[in-house]
Amino acid sequence: MPTFSTAEWNGMRLHVLPTRQFKTFSIAMYIGIPLKEETVTRAALIPHVLRRGNERYPETKQFRERLDDLYGAGFGFDIVKRGNYQIIILRMDVVNDAFVSGESESLLDAALQFLSDTVTRPVLEQGAFRASYVTSEKETLRKRIEAIVNNKIQYAAERCIAEMCRDEPYRLLALGRVDDLEDIDPAGLYAVYEDMLQCASIDLYIVGDTTPEAVQALLDGKFGLSGRASAVPYVPVREERRNVEEREVVERMDVKQGKLNLGLRANVTYADDDYPAALIYNGILGGFPHSKLFIHVRERASLAYYASSRFDGHKGLLMIQTGIEIANKEKAESIIRKQLEDIRNGVVSDDELSKTKAMIINSLRENDDSAFDQIGYHFNSVLSGKERSKQELIEAIQATGLGSVVDIARNVELDTVYFLRDKGGAS
Amino acid sequence: MKQLRYDHVQETLYYEQLDNGLELYVLPKPGFSKTYATFTTHYGSIDNHFQIEGEEPVQVPDGIAHFLEHKMFEEPDGDVFEKFSAKGASANAFTSFDRTTYLFSATDHIEDNLTTLLNFVQHPYFTEASVDKEKGIIGQEINMYQDNPDWRLYYGLLDALFQKHPVRIDIAGTIESISRITPETLYKCHEAFYHPSNMMVFVVGGVDPQRISELVKANQDAKVYNRQGEIRRFYEQEPEPVTEQRKVTKLPVALPKCLIGFKEIDGTPPGAAALHKEAASRIMLDILFSPSSESYQSLYDEGLITDNFGLEYNLYRDIAYSAIGGDTKDPDLLVERLKSFIARYVEHGVSEEAFQRSKRKKIGGLLRMMNSPETIGNEYTKFKFRGMDWFELLPAYESLTLDDVNRRIREHFDMKRMSVSIVTSS
Repeated sequence: MPTFSTAEWNGMRLHVLPTRQFKTFSIAMYIGIPLKEETVTRAALIPHVLRRGNERYPETKQFRERLDDLYGAGFGFDIVKRGNYQIIILRMDVVNDAFVSGESESLLDAALQFLSDTVTRPVLEQGAFRASYVTSEKETLRKRIEAIVNNKIQYAAERCIAEMCRDEPYRLLALGRVDDLEDIDPAGLYAVYEDMLQCASIDLYIVGDTTPEAVQALLDGKFGLSGRASAVPYVPVREERRNVEEREVVERMDVKQGKLNLGLRANVTYADDDYPAALIYNGILGGFPHSKLFIHVRERASLAYYASSRFDGHKGLLMIQTGIEIANKEKAESIIRKQLEDIRNGVVSDDELSKTKAMIINSLRENDDSAFDQIGYHFNSVLSGKERSKQELIEAIQATGLGSVVDIARNVELDTVYFLRDKGGAS
Repeated sequence: MKQLRYDHVQETLYYEQLDNGLELYVLPKPGFSKTYATFTTHYGSIDNHFQIEGEEPVQVPDGIAHFLEHKMFEEPDGDVFEKFSAKGASANAFTSFDRTTYLFSATDHIEDNLTTLLNFVQHPYFTEASVDKEKGIIGQEINMYQDNPDWRLYYGLLDALFQKHPVRIDIAGTIESISRITPETLYKCHEAFYHPSNMMVFVVGGVDPQRISELVKANQDAKVYNRQGEIRRFYEQEPEPVTEQRKVTKLPVALPKCLIGFKEIDGTPPGAAALHKEAASRIMLDILFSPSSESYQSLYDEGLITDNFGLEYNLYRDIAYSAIGGDTKDPDLLVERLKSFIARYVEHGVSEEAFQRSKRKKIGGLLRMMNSPETIGNEYTKFKFRGMDWFELLPAYESLTLDDVNRRIREHFDMKRMSVSIVTSS
């Protein structure tokens, strides 16, 4: 199995995975800064502005036509929060030249040039981002944030996290806050960007039929980020154990279906030795169709179409979600509580344990079949400072017994019960 | 097995039809850890009125294909998901207008998992109690979609476009229609549409085609199937006019949503002609409305569209439709603008430059899709049931001419066959 080779290059970490598995080259750039109220909205706005054009292709239409000309190269961005960081991810993928006849330019070279121009040579006016781009992307970002409420599943999940983490930066949406937008001007935004390029942790990933040496040669003259002394490491922050007091939040809206979300603190994160046991705990509880939540809330009680849990290993949160008839809230909640209680008491069959392990191991192995998934897995170790190969994680999962899972369960604390319901009825 | 070589994409597809009529496809993907396998019946939500040769015509409740998909996972000895989980396979299923697919992906125990897939899909087991229980679960699925504005927008468009054709019916049916489903109706539909001659298996991943073929054959040989007569499917003749030109749905949304669509009453023969039409239609929409188009940029600059502005074209055997739109502050103004762009393109056509660029983009896009075993399996199956070979789409793009696309624009955009769907809070 090929692995990433990592080198420090030009003040960033360069990771190259040579493989012939794909018909494409995949490129990803991770730019991470601490998640903070003062910068969250500006940082989220920046990739929106960058994708409008670069010095070589200053008009958005030209910029996108260039991508089309590179055989419809994919270019996209994401803004996410992981642990205590806000991370901008820029992604490109372009077909391997071998599949398109008569192509004279190297598509990998062209894609790297495009990404480099986009990051280091944005369209400027009087030393600031082009004003018209900033104005229109502020509007786009505002609409994106406001549109979250349209998808009630996502809305309920975000609201539950916000309530649960109301005293921590993690309450913030990765996209930032609508109220911050008005005060953003092109000069100030560009200053934040320049600062970000100096201080952020930056990782550049390339996956495809190439070699680290060939990539280094292609990168010559690209990504000129002056003044960066070193690749800035991420600082893993230990989550302090807090005094959790259970809280219930009910929100009313014009909805047919109620969304019941439970936010729990797992008190385990990615770097911990018992992380594999936490993955298994989540799998037994609600990660799969054989899991307790699916079986008891959906299959046995027929209360819901979806009932699942998700473990956020960088922040150590465990989130449960289900969509139910509004009148069934108490019933569903008590079934969910019973499942948490059962795992705490070790009421888990050998069968549940072994199926859960098999499913987690399968999803780790399937991760190898997508270039961007492999990049995402590797980035976990960069972010957490914990080197743990997929093979090591698989072996750790195989070696984990029920006792360790019960230990996790005893440390899991229910923090917030969030219920989104209709406007009628008794409160 | 027969080998179908597709040199332009460096793929080899293995194919055979078994004695009972089942079609088997295997695409080896060297270097891949996972295997993705699908077992699909050519039966979807639109097949609610049918007749098996030599039997009486049957009309069944809306949403039954989807209900059946849910119920197939229950066996006398328990839930099928458990069997897949025990072998580390991630299983699922989905129902669309014209097909129902059961699937798993796994990195180990491929032969055991494939056997489970073949067996559970071919073994119906329904009881009164389990059918009743499912009504609660699917009722929540229906409610979930009722709260989803994008879903309401899309189905609102189909409802506005089509007066008679069953694509206008919700795939999951309604709480009322599913209340009429019984074990007997489920058995009836299974018997009609899950005959091997109406189904196909597609396996893609790090597998040996010969071994897969032997396994599937042995499995099928051990099961008894009588020859089945032809299935007649009754889709009411769709008239030219739309149901309504403008349909408004009230639902809380941050910004209104708006889709426009054009329907075609289609009689394109399957095979090369259909593929050609599919390719020309996709390039047409791409040139007119993709993010690199002139219209997209000017609508975006006006603040009339957002990043979720999108487009699609769907070609079935007897109908086709397009859908174009997204969030907008002013649905009626957006519709006016889209109509005036369309009128201009109908009159003047698109440029050679834009055409060549779009072609390159579509070819690159297809190659990128071929990195994904799921995409390959699902796209190939979807195209197959609509009478097309997905791997021939790339040469179909290559052989298109500018004239083809300009002719397609003039055919497709007929204002008499256009509807607008809007979702808004007020």
